[in-house]
Amino acid sequence: MAWRHAITLAVSLVVGAGLAPGTVPARRPAQAAGSTAERPRANRPGLPSPMMATDRTTKTDSPAPKTAPKTQSAPETIGAPALDLAGLEKRLRDTKAIGVFTKLTLKNQVEDLLEQIKSFHEGRGGATLGELRERYNLLMLKVLSLLQRDDPRLARDLSASREALWNILADPVKFARMARGGEAR
Amino acid sequence: MSAYRSVSVLASCISLLLAAQTVAADDASVRRDLTSAIALQGLPCGEVVNVIRQAENDYIASCKDGNRYRVFINPQGRVVVQKQ
Repeated sequence: MAWRHAITLAVSLVVGAGLAPGTVPARRPAQAAGSTAERPRANRPGLPSPMMATDRTTKTDSPAPKTAPKTQSAPETIGAPALDLAGLEKRLRDTKAIGVFTKLTLKNQVEDLLEQIKSFHEGRGGATLGELRERYNLLMLKVLSLLQRDDPRLARDLSASREALWNILADPVKFARMARGGEAR
Repeated sequence: MSAYRSVSVLASCISLLLAAQTVAADDASVRRDLTSAIALQGLPCGEVVNVIRQAENDYIASCKDGNRYRVFINPQGRVVVQKQ
């Protein structure tokens, strides 16, 4: 619990206004305590490794009391920076801020999440979109907390892309296109 | 001749020191890497204080809190952390 608060605090410091305490996921992803991460399954080289984003649309983390009420979908794309998935992936791969084991662990967890999202889009997943978003947020926090000290620029860029990344993951058409793009690579 | 010998001894010492420094830095980065990998699995450790390399990508990590883990990459390409 203290660990999670520490990460939240640290990430909030780096990301600035990007994260509010209310956006912290309520629980960890399904990881049995004391168990190993070994879950034999097929490799999925076709899926790229986009990272996580914080939830801005499903929770009211910014009060904005004096502005007129807006529609839910409007702020997602307006003013959003262009998303360079391949560039981010390459920078994550190349960064010296994260060690080999840590990178591979993160990659495993991202692939697990992508598989869960794929199942969700195919209508056979047990998790709801909200739960997937929580997992996504938590993974983003992990990545940002690892990057913030030694590669703050990448942390900042990743954080700036989080909403756009989630929009791709949450949209079945965009997600399928991304998966196909990854396979083509 | 004596001066030449002194210089070569000094050079040897400096290279040894630099080599030791490099090894120490490598060791520190491995410890940090394993600390993060263990934490990402949600396992208690605190901080890895000692590392024994068993093979390529296969380590025994001793944690500050007394836990010991084998951390390795399995044939499926997944990082496995096994409590020892």
